Amino acid sequence: MILLESHNTIIQDVLTDRFERPSRADIQFVDYDNVRFHLSTQEAKTVLLLSMSIQCWPDLAKYGAREHLQEVYGSLLLGEGETEPEYQVSIRIDLEALPEGPEDRAELISKLSHLKSTTMSAPFLAAFSEQSSLQANFKDAAGAQQSDLGGQGGEKKGDLKIIKYREEEAIFIQASHDRVTVIFSTVFKEETDRVYGRVFLQEFVDARRLQSLQSAPQVQYSNREPPLEIRHLPGLKNGEDWGYVTFILSPRHFSNPATAQSAINRIQLFRDYLHYHIKCSKAYMHSRMRHRVAEFLKVLNRAKPEVAVAERKTASGRTFRTR
Amino acid sequence: MLQLERVREEKQLMRQSNTLRPYLNAVRATLTAALTLENFSSQVVERHNKPEIEAAASPEVLLHPLTVSRNESERVLIEPSVNSIRLSIAIKQADEIEKILCKKFTRFMMMRAEGFVILRRKPIAGYDISFLITNFHAESMLKHKLVDFIIQFMEDVDKEISEMKLSLNARARIVAESYLSTFA
Amino acid sequence: MSRQAPLVIDNGTGYTKMGFAGNSEPSFVFPTVIATHQTAGAGGGGRAPPPVAGKPSHLASKRGIEDLDFYIGDEAVVNSKTYDLHYPIKHGQIENWDHMERFWEQSIFKYLRAEPEDHYVLLTEPPLNPPENRENTAEIMFESFNVQGLYIAVQAVLALAASWTSSKVAERTLTGVVIDSGDGVTHTIPVAEGYVIGSSIKHVPIAGRDITSFVQQLLRDRGDSASIPPEDSMRVAEKIKEDYTYVCQDIVKEFKKYDADPYKYFARFSGEHSVTGRKYDIDVGYERFLAPEIFFNPEIYSSDFLTPLPEVVDTVIQTSPIDVRRGLYKNIVLSGGSTMFKDFGKRLQRDVKNIVDGRIAGSETRSGSLMKSSGVEVNVISHKRQRYAVWYGGSLMASTPEFFNVSHSRVDYEEYGPSLVRRFSVFGSSS
Repeated sequence: MILLESHNTIIQDVLTDRFERPSRADIQFVDYDNVRFHLSTQEAKTVLLLSMSIQCWPDLAKYGAREHLQEVYGSLLLGEGETEPEYQVSIRIDLEALPEGPEDRAELISKLSHLKSTTMSAPFLAAFSEQSSLQANFKDAAGAQQSDLGGQGGEKKGDLKIIKYREEEAIFIQASHDRVTVIFSTVFKEETDRVYGRVFLQEFVDARRLQSLQSAPQVQYSNREPPLEIRHLPGLKNGEDWGYVTFILSPRHFSNPATAQSAINRIQLFRDYLHYHIKCSKAYMHSRMRHRVAEFLKVLNRAKPEVAVAERKTASGRTFRTR
Repeated sequence: MLQLERVREEKQLMRQSNTLRPYLNAVRATLTAALTLENFSSQVVERHNKPEIEAAASPEVLLHPLTVSRNESERVLIEPSVNSIRLSIAIKQADEIEKILCKKFTRFMMMRAEGFVILRRKPIAGYDISFLITNFHAESMLKHKLVDFIIQFMEDVDKEISEMKLSLNARARIVAESYLSTFA
Repeated sequence: MSRQAPLVIDNGTGYTKMGFAGNSEPSFVFPTVIATHQTAGAGGGGRAPPPVAGKPSHLASKRGIEDLDFYIGDEAVVNSKTYDLHYPIKHGQIENWDHMERFWEQSIFKYLRAEPEDHYVLLTEPPLNPPENRENTAEIMFESFNVQGLYIAVQAVLALAASWTSSKVAERTLTGVVIDSGDGVTHTIPVAEGYVIGSSIKHVPIAGRDITSFVQQLLRDRGDSASIPPEDSMRVAEKIKEDYTYVCQDIVKEFKKYDADPYKYFARFSGEHSVTGRKYDIDVGYERFLAPEIFFNPEIYSSDFLTPLPEVVDTVIQTSPIDVRRGLYKNIVLSGGSTMFKDFGKRLQRDVKNIVDGRIAGSETRSGSLMKSSGVEVNVISHKRQRYAVWYGGSLMASTPEFFNVSHSRVDYEEYGPSLVRRFSVFGSSS
């Protein structure tokens, strides 16, 4: 498994099972980045309640997450008043009012198992639409802008969206007329991770030089110093352990809704992807080291002379048992 | 690009082997000479028999420590005494990655010191890994094979670390490429 | 921020049970198996080395990341045609650390979808697990996965904790005998105040698989198996075992009952050919009560193991220190799928009680009927969570606030290293 999947396996499994055979449920589980889920049947066996708590909800709500969820899940989404306490999003699934065809059901399941990524998409989508309006304005004002360029201090930009999706780490999203910039601040808790992480991030930057990846988003990586776009923000950490990764998405990465969604799904898992592979590499190094250590041990054991175990007997012919 | 890297790599290896041989030969000769150990009871505690180099209780049984050095980062310290010898190796660490890999590897090995009877669980300060050979080891094991082991270890550990580094880079590249290629 | 739920992972020889603390059932139950790709040039044979090491040239390492090309669990079984299957755990203990590490890697990232850096982890180990194994486990968990904290619990102790859900349990004690019967082997493990009494553990080589093949054998002997397609016979036997069997209280009476009114007791099983879809019916007769009977009368099935389970339980307790024996008799706990038969606990309790009472009566007569015993209480506890008892016990323990105090944290690990897990702290007892 190289890429991480964007849907939640537990939601998918449980719903697939419950759609066939409704039964009681009370399951709590998690997803990456401090997301908690609670799947329960509170009213009746046939009414599932799926609730999600996500750390960066205040940020997401600011950028229209609820509206976006409403759009995707429609009447399934419960209003703020009805949302389960301690959670921010609740979805009610009535198993007696499911769509009929197996494909429709599969689609519903897939939609529900993407609950987290759908919620996280809101700020990205907002940035994408900002970009397209900026682009339109830019073309209109292209002539006019040239005259007052000095006054503007460069090109127009959308507002900087900050999503504090983990305790210490955040995503910054900013639209401008020809691109959307996504910046991840990332911290490595451990020396090894930091070193491995740097190797990986450097490769992300270099990979785009490949012919086949010319169309991929441009990646920049800066260690310690935050990049220019966000340098003015207060409270940014800089130190050995900190790094900033910048993805520059150009309009072709979100030209139609399908590619936009897949780009969003991919990019919001960036941190997890990176950390997953750092861990896999460590596991791989472990197996190499195990192998190498076993080899060394063999070499050392060659130094031990083979002692011929002669059977020792007592005078009466009985043998000793050595333990 | 890969081609180029490989050529560079091979060149480096060649240059290495030019100076590596004499270095290893020097270690081998010194170690073989130093491995003249005899049973020696402690002069301080009655009926005890301690590796004198570790106990360091009676200076008269310690011999002059000796350093075989290839460059400032790669060196071997051999500390002989009447009944034990301590050998410490500083492994080449060219950059941050090699440093961490070396740390990981030696730690991993020292965790399993039980199996390596002559491995010290902690390196002495300034070195990456230490071995302690006592007269009992020298008696129960073949001396030249013990020396072979140390030499082989020194040879392989460098190779292993640089291979690990290469494979880390290779992994990182594949990981980055497969991530970026999903953006249409 | 509220703490994220700890991960509870119970890696058994046959099946891995994993999920999050606080739930009553594991979220995933699948075979502990890993399917790895046969690397070209490795040439099979014995333990495959990691993809690169051992090769003379360093070029091989450029090929990259074959070690990520693998499947675990059910997916591994599905892909067994193109991949090689490996079982990293043998007899409850981890044999192949390379495979196990990768098994965990995918368990956590693909199935549980948890960033291990944010979670505590509870793992289980069999009784008498060597400390080196614990150290290796800790090394992997802390160094590869950077988990926040780790607790390695003994399976039998967790099974005891799981029994607290039963209404029969008055006090929460960690003293008792655990009868853990899975697919391959049945263990009887005495535990005193959270510590396993290693010297008294006994294994019974009869478990789920044996019952299935006994059912299969009975069907064959009766000639009923003619209508069952041979390739399905194992599956049918398993189904019969799971759906129709129960433990009887008296085998002779049960036979009479069946003979008197066969129509009342015989059940019918209808199956469908897995390939052609042809339907067939078979009678389910005496095997309904004979199948689980092999625990109590092993001679009907095997010729080399002849000690009935109640006797084994009694021996286990009798070889334990005398001051805990009363506690052990009082709390005999069942765990694992093969103890799920109806009335299994009742029968076991009766038989053990008989043995104990017999012994007491004997010693009373030997004392010339001068001494009177106050009797020994025998209790066999079955409960609703029996099937995944170990996992459930883990989930229960990991959801207490105390769990975070007894776990080994990351900070501790950095201070002491892997030898940290040699220290064993029991918790959860009533004190």
